[in-house]
Amino acid sequence: MKYHVLSWSLWALAAVLPALMTRNPLYLVIVLLAVSLSYVQRERRDGAPWRVFLRAGLFFWALTIPFNALFVHAGDRVIFSLPQQWPLIGGPITVEAVVYGLVSGLALFTVLLVFTTYNAQVSHHELLRYTPGFLYQAGLVTSISITFVPQMLSSAQEIREAQAVRGHRFRKLRDMLPLFVPLLTTGLERAVQLAESMESRGFGGNLAPISWRQELVRRLATVLGLISLSAGLFLSAYFREESGFGWALAVTGAVMLLLVFGAQGSRVQRSRYGRPRWDGADTLVAIASGVVIAVFAGIKGLAPMELVYYPYPPFSLTPGFNPLLGGVLLLLALPAIVREAVSVRTSASPPGPGVTRVAGAER
Amino acid sequence: MIEFRDVTYAYPESDSPVLENLSLRVEEGEFVLVIGPSGAGKSTLLRCLNGLVPHFYGGRFGGELRVAGRDPVVAEPRGMSRVVGLVFQDPEAQFVVDTVEDELAFAMENHDLSPLLMRKRVEEVLDQLNIAHLRGRAVSTLSGGEKQRVAIGSVLTLSPKVLVLDEPTSQLDPQAAEEVLTTLQKLNADLGLTVILSEHRLERVVQYADRVVYLPGAGQRPVIGPPEDVLRRVELTPPLASLAKELGWDEIPLTIKAGRRQVGRSALVSRLASSPSPALLEQEDRADTTGSSQIVDVEDAWFSYNGREALRGVNLSVHQGEVVALMGRNGSGKTTLLKQIVGLLHPKRGSVRVCGLDTSDADVHRMASHVGYVPQNPGTLLFADTVREELEFTLGSHSLPKDGYGDVVESLELGPHIERYPRDLSVGERQRVALAAILVANPEVILLDEPTRGLDYMQKAALARFLQDQKGSGCSVVMATHDVELAAVCADRVVILGDGEVVVDGPVREVMAGSMVFSPQIGKLFGDPRFLTVEDVLRVMGRT
Repeated sequence: MKYHVLSWSLWALAAVLPALMTRNPLYLVIVLLAVSLSYVQRERRDGAPWRVFLRAGLFFWALTIPFNALFVHAGDRVIFSLPQQWPLIGGPITVEAVVYGLVSGLALFTVLLVFTTYNAQVSHHELLRYTPGFLYQAGLVTSISITFVPQMLSSAQEIREAQAVRGHRFRKLRDMLPLFVPLLTTGLERAVQLAESMESRGFGGNLAPISWRQELVRRLATVLGLISLSAGLFLSAYFREESGFGWALAVTGAVMLLLVFGAQGSRVQRSRYGRPRWDGADTLVAIASGVVIAVFAGIKGLAPMELVYYPYPPFSLTPGFNPLLGGVLLLLALPAIVREAVSVRTSASPPGPGVTRVAGAER
Repeated sequence: MIEFRDVTYAYPESDSPVLENLSLRVEEGEFVLVIGPSGAGKSTLLRCLNGLVPHFYGGRFGGELRVAGRDPVVAEPRGMSRVVGLVFQDPEAQFVVDTVEDELAFAMENHDLSPLLMRKRVEEVLDQLNIAHLRGRAVSTLSGGEKQRVAIGSVLTLSPKVLVLDEPTSQLDPQAAEEVLTTLQKLNADLGLTVILSEHRLERVVQYADRVVYLPGAGQRPVIGPPEDVLRRVELTPPLASLAKELGWDEIPLTIKAGRRQVGRSALVSRLASSPSPALLEQEDRADTTGSSQIVDVEDAWFSYNGREALRGVNLSVHQGEVVALMGRNGSGKTTLLKQIVGLLHPKRGSVRVCGLDTSDADVHRMASHVGYVPQNPGTLLFADTVREELEFTLGSHSLPKDGYGDVVESLELGPHIERYPRDLSVGERQRVALAAILVANPEVILLDEPTRGLDYMQKAALARFLQDQKGSGCSVVMATHDVELAAVCADRVVILGDGEVVVDGPVREVMAGSMVFSPQIGKLFGDPRFLTVEDVLRVMGRT
C-alpha cells in the first residue's frame, strides 16, 4: 500500500526535522529505527539503486569518525597522542572527538535514510501534480533528468565495454574520447526521441489567450521586477546606510516577478489526473507527523537546550533523554505499523460479506 | 482520412528531397503498411502525419497534406495530437512518467481534460489493450511487449482517429512483437481505427494490411496497392512471397495457410519428393565441423546479476568455421553468454575457454585480439569523424598497421562511405561500419548481438553472404538473434536458451524442423528439415 503523496511528504518532513535539529544519539537512533521500519517495507522493484545510495551513506558515516578524531583535538579523555609536529593531525586523539564523529555520521545517515525511504515510495509525477503551475515544466524536466541518470550510467557501461573489447585501453584523459562522444550522441538521440514523444502528446500546448494589453502589462512587470530586484540587491550590498531601502526594493521586485510567473503559470491549461486517495491511514499519519513537527518546532523555540548534545567539555559525554520527546519520535513508526496491519488483514481474510476492511485497504 | 497531394520534403542541409511528389489517399479504418529499404523516407512519411515534419525538424515542405480535415503543417504536432497518435521504435525512450497509469494520463493532462473523463478513458484503454494488471507498475519494470502496449495506450487515451507506428516491433522478440501486432489488428478491426505502420519484417505483419506503400527511395515513385500486388512488384519480399514469385504461382500467399493451399495446388510436395536429390541435401551447405578444432568451450557456466541467475550451468562448444545461432526470449541469457565468451563477464562457477585461453585469467585486451564482439547498438562503438578513422582506431588499438583495412572495406561494400561521418549513415550502413570496425582486427571468433535489428531484406541477405564468407575463411561465428530467417540461411547449429539454460542444441535443420516458434516461413510451409530457405527448394528443383 502507498500513502497519499501529501501525507507521505509530511511524514518525511517530520522525520528529517529531528535529524537536522539534534545530534543527541538517543533521539537519532529512535528516528533511524522508526524510519528503517518503513524502508524495509518499500517495494522491492527498484531496490538496487537505493542500496547503493545507502552503502555510500555508510561509507561517509565511517569516514566522519576518523576525520573528526584526527582533526579535532578537544576533550579530556585521551586515547593516544600523535606527535605535535605533524601538521593538522598532530595532537591528542580523544574519546569525545570519536563520539562526536560517530554522532555526526549518524545524523547524516539518518537524513539519507529518510530521503531514500521517501523516494522509494513516492511517485515523482504525483508530487509534480502538487507543484504550482509555473513550476510544472521545470519540475517535469527535473524528474525526467533524474530518470536519465541511471540510463546514462548503463549506456556508459555498455560503451566502455564495447570499446574495451575493440582493444581500446582507457589510460589518459584523451583515451576517454571514444567513451564521451558515443555517450553524448546516444544521450542526445534519446533526448530528441523523448521530445518528439512529448510534443506528439500535446505537451506544452494550450496557453489561454490574453489580450495585447495584458501582454504589455506582463512584459512591463517582468522588466520592472528585474530592475527593482537587482537595484535593491546592489543598494543593500554596497551602500550600508541605504540597506533598509535596498532590501525593501529587492523584496518588491521579487514579489512582482513571482506574481508574473504565477499569472503566466495559470495560463497553462492543464488538468491533473489523480484519484482522491486520501483515507483514514493518511489522516493518522498526517496527524502523527504534525505532532512531531509541532513538538520539535516548539522545543526549538522555547527550550532549545533540550535538543543540544555536545560531548566536549564542559558538556557531558552522556546524552540527556526526555522520555516525552522519545515517545513523540516513536510516532514516526506509525506508517510502517499501519501498513503492516493492513497487509496482514488483507492477506489473512479475503474481503467478503461480514468482513470489515481496514482503512486504506481499498487501494 | 489522409490525403497527400504532391508532397515533397527535404531535411535542412540536404540537397535531395526524401519525399518527392508523393500522392496517397488513405480511407478511414484502413490498415496501411509502409515498407521500403532503410533510409527511403518511411519515418519521414509517418512524421508528416502529425506535423513533426516539418515542425520539429525544419527543412523544406511542399505540396498539400490533410489528416482528418486538418493541415498538420498549420496545426503543429500539439494541435494534431488529438487526431493522430504516434508511437515510436524504442519503447524506453518515449516514456515521460514513472508509472503506467500516469503515463496513460499524460497526454490528457496536457489537453486539460476533466478528471472524470480522464478516469473513464484510462479504464477503457487499460481494458482495450489488456493491460489492466499493469496499472500500478513502474514502466521500467515492464517487458518490451508490455512497454510498447503501454506506449500505444498513452496515445489512445486522446481517442485519435489515426494510429501511426514507426517500426514498433523492431526491438522486440518474436513473441512480444506478436503481442503488439495482434493488439493493433484488434484496434483496427474493433474500433475502426486507421492504422499506419512501418515495418521491416514483413512476414510478421503483411497479412494484416489492407494496402502496402512501398517507398523505393532515391527519388523513385512509390508503389501503392493491395499487399499481393505490391509484393509481386518489389524485390523486398518475405521468403514465402519470394518462393511464390520464383515458382511463378498465380497468387502470392501472405500466410503459411495460404501458402500450403498453393503448395497443394501445384503438387509441389510430390515433385520435391520425387526429385533426384534428397540425399544430396544431407551433405550440402551446412558444415560438419565435428572434426575441426574446438575454438570456444563453455563448461557448466553459472552467472548471476544482483542475485538474479542469468546463466545456469550452460554448456556450449563452437568449432572452427562454424556458425552458431543463439536464440530464445529476451532475457533468456543470450547477451550474457556472449559477454562471457568475450571475457567481459566471468562465470561464477564453471569455465569458459576461448582459443585456448581461460577467460577468467586473460584480460579483456588479450581476449580482444582473438574475439570480435559487435554489440546490439552500433552507436556504442562509433565516435570518429569518418569511417576511415573508425577503422584506423581499431587497428591502432591492436597495434596493427593502420592501412590494413582494404579487404574488410571491400567485402562490406563500405568503399563509397569511407570518408563519411558514421552517424550520418543509414541503420544498415552503420551496422556494417560497426562490423568492419571489429573485423579489421581479424578475430578468430566473431560474436554478434542482434545483428539484423533495423535491417531490410537486402541488407540481411548481404550480411548472410558476408558471414558465409567469414565461415569459409575459417572464422567461427556466434550470433544472438531473434531472426529465424537469418539463422535458417546461414547457421550450422542452433542453440536455444530458456531462463539461463540450454534447452536445445543441435544442427539447424533438425532444430528448426521440430520447432513451432523457431522455424522460418519455408520450414513451416513444408515441415521438412530439407527445406528451410527458398534456396533449398530451388536447389532440389534444380533451379539454381
